[in-house]
Amino acid sequence: MSANEKDDYKGPVIEVRDLVRKFGNRTVLNGISFTVEKGDTMIIMGGSGCGKSTLLRHIIGSMKPTSGSIKIFGQEITTMSGPELDRLRLRFGMNFQFGALLQSLTVGENVALPLIENSRVDPEIVDLVVKMKLELVGLTGFEHLKPAEISGGMRKRVGLARAVALDPELLFSDEPTSGLDPIMTAVIDQLTLDLTRKLDMTAVVVTHDMTSAFRIGTKMIMLGAGPKQGTIIAMGTPEEIRNSDNPEVQQFINGHPDGPIPLKLAKEDYIDRLLDEP
Amino acid sequence: MRDYLTLNAQILFWIFFAPFRGKSLRLSAVFHQMVRIGVQAVPMTALTSLSIGITLAMQGAHELSRMGATSYVPDLVGMSLLRELGPLLVGVVVIGRSGSAVTAELGTMKVSEEIEALEVMAINPIRFLVVPRFLAMLVMLPALTVFGNYIGMTGGWAICRFSLDMPTEGYIRRLIESSHAMDLYSGMIKSVVFAWLIITISCFYGLKVKGGAEGVGRATTQSVVVSILTMLIADALLTAIFFVIET
Repeated sequence: MSANEKDDYKGPVIEVRDLVRKFGNRTVLNGISFTVEKGDTMIIMGGSGCGKSTLLRHIIGSMKPTSGSIKIFGQEITTMSGPELDRLRLRFGMNFQFGALLQSLTVGENVALPLIENSRVDPEIVDLVVKMKLELVGLTGFEHLKPAEISGGMRKRVGLARAVALDPELLFSDEPTSGLDPIMTAVIDQLTLDLTRKLDMTAVVVTHDMTSAFRIGTKMIMLGAGPKQGTIIAMGTPEEIRNSDNPEVQQFINGHPDGPIPLKLAKEDYIDRLLDEP
Repeated sequence: MRDYLTLNAQILFWIFFAPFRGKSLRLSAVFHQMVRIGVQAVPMTALTSLSIGITLAMQGAHELSRMGATSYVPDLVGMSLLRELGPLLVGVVVIGRSGSAVTAELGTMKVSEEIEALEVMAINPIRFLVVPRFLAMLVMLPALTVFGNYIGMTGGWAICRFSLDMPTEGYIRRLIESSHAMDLYSGMIKSVVFAWLIITISCFYGLKVKGGAEGVGRATTQSVVVSILTMLIADALLTAIFFVIET
């Protein structure tokens, strides 16, 4: 891929159109459409099981949709495979929910992996970059430990360091701050802000954490639950979302137990189910 | 079945074609796997082969002594080990030690999203994980078989020397005279075919694990059962082929 190819493209970084995904007769994503412009930090929120992670997996090309289109840097990812998909994937980094580090490698080797496998840099430079990236997430000195020897929160931070190892133009993060203490959450948020504001990186972040969402987001979408499963019920800037008159959005961002969002996924009534049980 | 054949084709692609397109083999990983699959299996292979060598010699001596033909015990031991029991028993040892471990390891990686993470980093999991194990197995199983054959023959020697009072040089001479190159070759061909089957089946079941720890356990059991059955069937087929060729 030439440098020109990167610079020529001026359209939206991500363009999702009418994305539908069914598992059997359950529709998890039902007509999702949105765009992410360069430099945006898009927050995807919604309750557990509403399809946030599934949506992310479709965007990164791990899952194929039932119908609809996803364009990344203007290229359709849903029909891509093999070397073509790999070339596109080199332009983005993905930070998995639980880190997804290779257990057989040390922390340092995990961060070095994309550099060693996908670029031709000298081993000394790889070492240097690994140190820099670990410093970014506050884990200097942990290079030689195995992922099993560090905590879950630390694993997530190593995952983030690995995701940005190749300085991608686009970063995906699946709940980057869940399970981290408030200070570390602020550090990770600040890091995301630095990367997006200063280096013009585009980010897509799936999160439940409202403080962090309003701190880093420039654009937000919220996925619905229950009968509105798999649809976008609200979209806009953080300001628009905060002032939204949609009661579901207000319930979610303020964390009220009672409200229009249904808590249970079962269709029958609880009492009926209880009485029906043998 | 189609997925299994696809996996085989992908392995061959990453070994024979990809290196010419700038995606080199990971030789250090191959050596690492060779140690795990081969070197670390040496004690167990030795013990298994020694027992089988001793058992073969004792059984043979018992039957042959009734016809006064105990001098044929070395023939029996050498022939059985080279053609049949060597490759088969070492195959069973390696399935139990390494085949199951490969399935469990790849399965756990699948469950903990490590394989997906590799794909998203544009690192092909077949090239990164499967090919080193495949190459290591293809080298180490035949090597272990040769080693096992020697140890088994040593077991046979122990019985002949100390129980049948056969001189050592007589045992060795008898072994060399009775064995043909074809005995060794047929055993080695079997061993290579077994290695191929064991490692591809183990990787195949590991990569298609679904559903957490339980899924990993189920896949590991399946992989061991299918590997052993396939190996036995392949053994029968190969023996039939050699039988036809040689007669």
